[in-house]
Amino acid sequence: MADLLQYIITGITVGLVYSLIALGFTLIWKSSSVANLALGQMVLICSWFTYSMLAQVGMPLWLGFICVVLFALALGWLMERIILRPLIGQPILSLVTVTLGVGFFLEGVVSFVWPQSVAAMPKIFPETPIHIGSAVISQEYVWAAGISLLLFALLTIFFKYHKMGVAMRATADDQQAVQACGIPVTRIFSLSWMLAIVLAAVGGVLMSSIGGITLGLVETGIKAFSVVILGGLDSFLGAMIAGPIIGLAENLGGGYLTALTWPGVKEVIPFIIIIIVMFIKPYGLFGQERIERI
Amino acid sequence: MDLPCGTRNFSYKTDMAIFRTKTHWAMLIGFLILLFSLPFNINSYWLGILNLIGITVIAAAGLNILMGYCGQLSVGHAGFIAVGAYTTAILANKLGVPFPFDMIASGIMAGLVGVLFGLPSLRVKGFYLAISTIAAQFIIIWVINHWSGLTGGFNGIVIPPINLFNFDFTTQGSQFFIIMLVAVLAIFFMKNIARTRIGRAFVAIRDNDLAAEVMGINVFRYKLLAFFIGCFLAGVAGSLMAHWIGYLTAENFTLSDSILYVGIVIIGGLGTGVGPILGTLFIRLLQQGVQYVSPLMGSAFPQLPSGFAAGLGPMVFGLAIVLFLVLEPRGLAHRWQLFKSSYRYWPFSY
Repeated sequence: MADLLQYIITGITVGLVYSLIALGFTLIWKSSSVANLALGQMVLICSWFTYSMLAQVGMPLWLGFICVVLFALALGWLMERIILRPLIGQPILSLVTVTLGVGFFLEGVVSFVWPQSVAAMPKIFPETPIHIGSAVISQEYVWAAGISLLLFALLTIFFKYHKMGVAMRATADDQQAVQACGIPVTRIFSLSWMLAIVLAAVGGVLMSSIGGITLGLVETGIKAFSVVILGGLDSFLGAMIAGPIIGLAENLGGGYLTALTWPGVKEVIPFIIIIIVMFIKPYGLFGQERIERI
Repeated sequence: MDLPCGTRNFSYKTDMAIFRTKTHWAMLIGFLILLFSLPFNINSYWLGILNLIGITVIAAAGLNILMGYCGQLSVGHAGFIAVGAYTTAILANKLGVPFPFDMIASGIMAGLVGVLFGLPSLRVKGFYLAISTIAAQFIIIWVINHWSGLTGGFNGIVIPPINLFNFDFTTQGSQFFIIMLVAVLAIFFMKNIARTRIGRAFVAIRDNDLAAEVMGINVFRYKLLAFFIGCFLAGVAGSLMAHWIGYLTAENFTLSDSILYVGIVIIGGLGTGVGPILGTLFIRLLQQGVQYVSPLMGSAFPQLPSGFAAGLGPMVFGLAIVLFLVLEPRGLAHRWQLFKSSYRYWPFSY
């Protein structure tokens, strides 16, 4: 019973972080219909950058985080400006593969700059574990869930009330109409990339303070795709709900299925979910079904 | 299709021929003689590289059918190659199946697995398909790593060398003949399939699958057929790779390799005959160049970080993929075409 509670709490908290990273994907997809497959590598590089700022340079926490956010903003802006803007109007195959190439490049940069390949994130959160019922949860999980929820709330408010947020939603709906209204669409693209990478950076810092900085973070980014697929590509709500579902499935499956199958089943459950969703409901729980006309 | 000055076609047969003129035929035969005389002229280090290039060409030809002609993005090609490689490993190691049969069985096995993971392609495309093939990659590698009774798991598995007529193909030079023979056949097969009814159906599906369906093409069948053929060639490449390396672990088939294959097909030129060859040559020779340059750079500039050697490769390939997509989306094949026409029309280039 204690195990069950433990799995559920861990699953939901980790799932919320997945949701956060997935939101970054959905943001870009909705505004510019580019699929960012370099998400995992972006999570990785932002985590390493945080490590550099905090552990190697030795900045205080607040300064470190400002630097990380600035780094993420710069990365997002560069991505959009240099790589994706020349490709506007190209077939989707190019748009998908170009992000694959960027991912490859970023992975190279990571092993170039941080050759140690494994590191522990400096302690950001207090260390004493929390007892909930019979389960013992380290505080990182709780903080991760809390920060994710806070960011969801902020983003919701941003999209609902802020002028730029409304413009972004409008761009997602109809690019040409937005352009006709005098909203600079390319600036919206840049902004959504910058926001998305900041979300990936926050997600990366939260994940790596739980599990350390390893190449596994790339897989975390790829797991965020399963969140996106399950929730529906173009649905913020879907991403928020699907994250905890994936997290739960992963942890419960890891807990109870390992004895039945092979070890490491936890790592592939999100991928198995992807395949199942593809067969049953390819546009996800909340995604809009696309109707194509010739 | 442009022809050399003064050459005309007077029958359908000559119009459809891949090799149209006597010069073409002479160049083809010369190239084949040159290719198959290489083992007698160069050392085994370069033969090893050429063998790797040959194997990669076969796999890239498969991916080119799938991605270039049929337009179905697959980021799990290394996974399908792994299926082929391990099928060969199990057949040759545990059951003692002789060479050409284990290769064909590997191809069919990889093709069937490809069809299984290609099933979602009926309803989804683009990004969705990319994700489901990435998922395929991870699931396949996980199964290989953990079904250790069959695949050897993390410890790996040993594959006996190819044995034909009581001759063991152990040296790079002898394997070169088999690998290159299969590679030439694979390219020939790919080039020809693009000209048949199947190939035209693939192209129609790539350009617009709804329109293709309206025209009476059974989209479901042809998409799955594309997955089967593409993954069949991947399986064949995997089988040859298994015999060539002689010892397999799942480390040989990572997601990065899958991305590299996508990069090869893109850099070469999607949906072209020479694309896979040019792309493979470009990427594999670039790899060699990086391997050669990085220790030199390391000793020349000691202040470079120690991750330099490990990071340079991925950085260069990632950059190559991105630059090609941004600057030359039609790939090296387009450049080759431009070169050929400027050469043919010289000195009257209009």
